[in-house]
Amino acid sequence: MILSSLVLLFIIAPLAGMFLHMDGARFLETIKDKEVHQSIWLTLWVSFTATLIFSVGAIPFAWLLARKKFPAKNFVQGIIDLPIVLPHTAAGIALLGFISRDGFLGKTASLFGLNLVNHPSGIALAMAFVSLPFLINAARDGFAAVPERLEKAALNLGASHTKVFFTISFPLALRSITTGFVMMFARGMSEFGAVVIIAYHPMVAPVLIYERFSSYGLNYARPASVFFILIALFFLIALRLLSLKRKEKYINSDAQTD
Amino acid sequence: MLRLIDINRRLGDFALTDINLEVSDGQYYVLLGRSGAGKTQLLELIAGLEHPDTGKILLDNEDITRQRIQDRKVGIVFQDFAVFPHMTVFGNIAYPLRVRKENKNSITEKVEKAAIAMNIRHILDRNTEKLSGGEMQRVALARTLITSPRLLLLDEPLSSLDTSLKDDLKRVLRSLNKAGQTIIHVTHDYGDAISLAKRVGVIHNGKIIQEGSVSEVFKNPVNRFVARYAGIRNFFRINISHEDGSLFGVTEHKNRFKLNNKNTEKDSLLLVRSDSVFIGNEMPWDTELNSFKGKITEIIPSEFGLEVTVDAGDLFYVNIQLSEIERLGITEGKDVWVSFSPKDIVVINGN
Repeated sequence: MILSSLVLLFIIAPLAGMFLHMDGARFLETIKDKEVHQSIWLTLWVSFTATLIFSVGAIPFAWLLARKKFPAKNFVQGIIDLPIVLPHTAAGIALLGFISRDGFLGKTASLFGLNLVNHPSGIALAMAFVSLPFLINAARDGFAAVPERLEKAALNLGASHTKVFFTISFPLALRSITTGFVMMFARGMSEFGAVVIIAYHPMVAPVLIYERFSSYGLNYARPASVFFILIALFFLIALRLLSLKRKEKYINSDAQTD
Repeated sequence: MLRLIDINRRLGDFALTDINLEVSDGQYYVLLGRSGAGKTQLLELIAGLEHPDTGKILLDNEDITRQRIQDRKVGIVFQDFAVFPHMTVFGNIAYPLRVRKENKNSITEKVEKAAIAMNIRHILDRNTEKLSGGEMQRVALARTLITSPRLLLLDEPLSSLDTSLKDDLKRVLRSLNKAGQTIIHVTHDYGDAISLAKRVGVIHNGKIIQEGSVSEVFKNPVNRFVARYAGIRNFFRINISHEDGSLFGVTEHKNRFKLNNKNTEKDSLLLVRSDSVFIGNEMPWDTELNSFKGKITEIIPSEFGLEVTVDAGDLFYVNIQLSEIERLGITEGKDVWVSFSPKDIVVINGN
């Protein structure tokens, strides 16, 4: 009990300390700071877009992992978890090689006149690289919890595999998928290591905070941190509430996905 | 007509072996077997949810062995109903029509009709979470029937229902079959088989070990397993007669059975499990019982102790414990009374 409280305190104390130590006037100044606005907005939309685009592939992939047997499945599962254990700067370096002008993706993109480095699309890739496992794993668990019987019954009733996916598997796993979506979005938003190597500019919020800290010191970095945390919390809570609303609608699927 | 030809399918330690089966149109075929005998696996093969390793499945002379599930028009109702939890009752029943992109008006019309037929119209708007087992089953049944399946497969449809619901569902199934629906029904309960089947197949360890009409299978069990499984050795062809408001069945040897079954037809088959028949030296005092005096003709060992054959005009087979033999002093040639309650009698109509 005491140990648990200590662990909890360990999480709360630094955050609370940061709020308490903050200079109110400087905070107001930060809120009005255009550079901060742009940075936070960039962070939010890039992370959201990255999550949205990658979920198009990641969700069916998660279904495959939950339902199908294939050779080297454990190996594939290991690869998916790899970004979680890699040092994120190392992930950034690896990704940079891939998307710089000499890399495969970079070359392809430059054919269309797009430079991925120091560009929001590069940031999106960096965010996705480190946060994708959260979506895939949560969605996979969600699909695995949908009774296979229901899918078989739907097939028997004349639905094609695609129809079954969209009318049965997906809605029943939606809660887990939403959780995974929120986690991927949040993880992407807070990513520093991989992003800073791909793009110092345009500056996402974690990079901006780092920059303020290294150029001006703790007192300048703190208000920006608090502001970003508040905004991030707002979006996370909003998404959570949205998924709770859905939960009421799919109240039964919860029994299976929980 | 459905034909299974030399079907083999291995699933781990278990295998369906050399399954040959014919189910003609309009048939009510009951596949009887214990849990783990391979009944559900066989249904899944027919529905196309699984594929056989070898062998062929023909439906109306068309080879459907490798046909996709969604093209087979073989409807299956699972033991756990597999009602979609995220849809209302209406949504469930409408599902097969929606995936076929039928127009809205025709869907509403058909769902209403199906719901009325299954007596669930009043719950169409409900979520499925609070439905009773009986209601869930009707939803599942309506949802499958709305596709007009050529073949209806039922996996233990009666096992999770209490007695009164069972009778309701049996009525529904009988009338469906009467309207021409071909049904294959798997169950572990011989009572279901007797009361519904036109033909019975007994499946054991992945093999169909006996097949035929109900009376063929139960009267002439091909081996001890079927006999024991059926637990029924006492078969009597009877004529029904009404006397003083009571119902009697009269055998060709003029033994009269008191019956308490109200809806029996003129010519029927009457069954009593060997376990339900009691043996005694005196006539039982309870006049409600059916009691007959006869002579013991044979005593042979059985799974349960001994099987005693009593000739009372008709032959009665009685299972009894060894200790009872000594207590009653039972020997071959001895005169005894056999008795059983009317409620232990099963009557099959017009078989």
